[in-house]
Amino acid sequence: MTLQQQIRANRFRTALVLLGFAVLVAALALAISVAYEPGLAGFIGIGAIAYGIFSWFFAGRMVAAASGAHRVTKEQYPELHRTVENAAIGAGMPRTPDIYVIEDTAPNAFAAGRDPKHAYVAATTGLMEKLSKRELEGVIAHEIAHIRNRDVRLMSLAAVLVGVIALVSDMLMRMTLFGGGRNREGNALTMVVGIAAMILAPIGAMLLQMSLSRRREYLADASAAEITGDGEGLALALAKLRDDHTPLHKVTRATAHLYIESPLRDHKGLRSSLGGLFDTHPPLEERISRLAEAGGFPAP
Amino acid sequence: MSPLLIVAAAVVALLLYVIVSYNKLVRLRNECAEGFSSIDVQLKRRADLVPNLVESVKAYASHENTVFTRVTEARAATLAAASIPQKEAAHVLMQSALTGLLGIAEAYPELRAVETFTALQAELSDTEDKIAAARRYYNATTRRYNTALDQIPTNVIAGATGFERREFFSIEDPADREPVAVKL
Repeated sequence: MTLQQQIRANRFRTALVLLGFAVLVAALALAISVAYEPGLAGFIGIGAIAYGIFSWFFAGRMVAAASGAHRVTKEQYPELHRTVENAAIGAGMPRTPDIYVIEDTAPNAFAAGRDPKHAYVAATTGLMEKLSKRELEGVIAHEIAHIRNRDVRLMSLAAVLVGVIALVSDMLMRMTLFGGGRNREGNALTMVVGIAAMILAPIGAMLLQMSLSRRREYLADASAAEITGDGEGLALALAKLRDDHTPLHKVTRATAHLYIESPLRDHKGLRSSLGGLFDTHPPLEERISRLAEAGGFPAP
Repeated sequence: MSPLLIVAAAVVALLLYVIVSYNKLVRLRNECAEGFSSIDVQLKRRADLVPNLVESVKAYASHENTVFTRVTEARAATLAAASIPQKEAAHVLMQSALTGLLGIAEAYPELRAVETFTALQAELSDTEDKIAAARRYYNATTRRYNTALDQIPTNVIAGATGFERREFFSIEDPADREPVAVKL
């Protein structure tokens, strides 16, 4: 798969995500209007469209706010800035992306934003402390690859759209289960429909989000190896992330897929009992061994 | 369907294919040019560091004239170079000249304690990293472009419309000249 094909595939998938979002919102609106008040559906529809448009432009910033990432200057983090700059040059990007930092000891990183001109790379302080220069270069190159491959818009949009569906349906489920519905004494059937839709919506949202991740991680790893000319650096970094079990604090299901390595890997509560089905990332072992195979070095 | 329609459809399909392939070649050629200008920017940036570096080393080792001359010459060659082979030659010259210059600096511990010098040295090594990154991108893009020129049937389109192979820039591993199959 060439870069151009990947970019095209991403555009197509972005359209699918938006469509999926619309369908889920419709399902949710239907469930709410059946269970509560028919007139609500129109308001929800208008609200969802407004939110969708807002998300298109501000998904990156919303993700930053949700994950506690703040923008830093070259002077504050010269080393990180240099690494990002060099990776951007290696990827042939005309502009160095903005740089954000998350104050957290867990080593992790992500990239988000609308397009290469409005994208940023975010790294935790733990990543900078725990990784060597070479390993950091690999991780940053992976994030730069996400930006160049136009993965960021899709991933950011998925985060904010899935996030809001999860939030709303969660709220509604509680309202249905613990009272507040006006038609409680009414038709039992409408209640069943309502509850079913409210359960299905978040599951659908999760599936939507998951459909994004796995192959693009492998592709970004391969691109990173090309950008730095050092696949082993990234493999060593991934091995370090594998062996580090510090939990990342500000993370939700909606933003988990953005990170270079799933921050929910060790999270018993959020990691579904369904196991692999809901994993947003391919196993680190597999990614490391693919890098090792392509680069001809022993897997760390 | 009449035979005429089939022929017409085939001609249209062929024409579309030619247009798409041509556009792909144009895009790759532009990417190569952009990649090279990015190397160029960094080469110039490195050349601009030279006068200050020479000044600060001269303050401690004024007698090492041959080394200073070599670096200054390499700088002049970098700024004067127009073609890719010329720039490559200037790049090689500069690298060995700078190695010599920094070698002298090693011999003067008091120089290494000077803040302006260490700052220049850090900037130099950063620029070297950037040259390496830009070179990697340029060579990878050039390899893709040259591969497209060699492949059937784009080679026919390329030949007819005057696309020329591009030269690699200072490639270290000869294997990097060969096309690679990316496995995903």
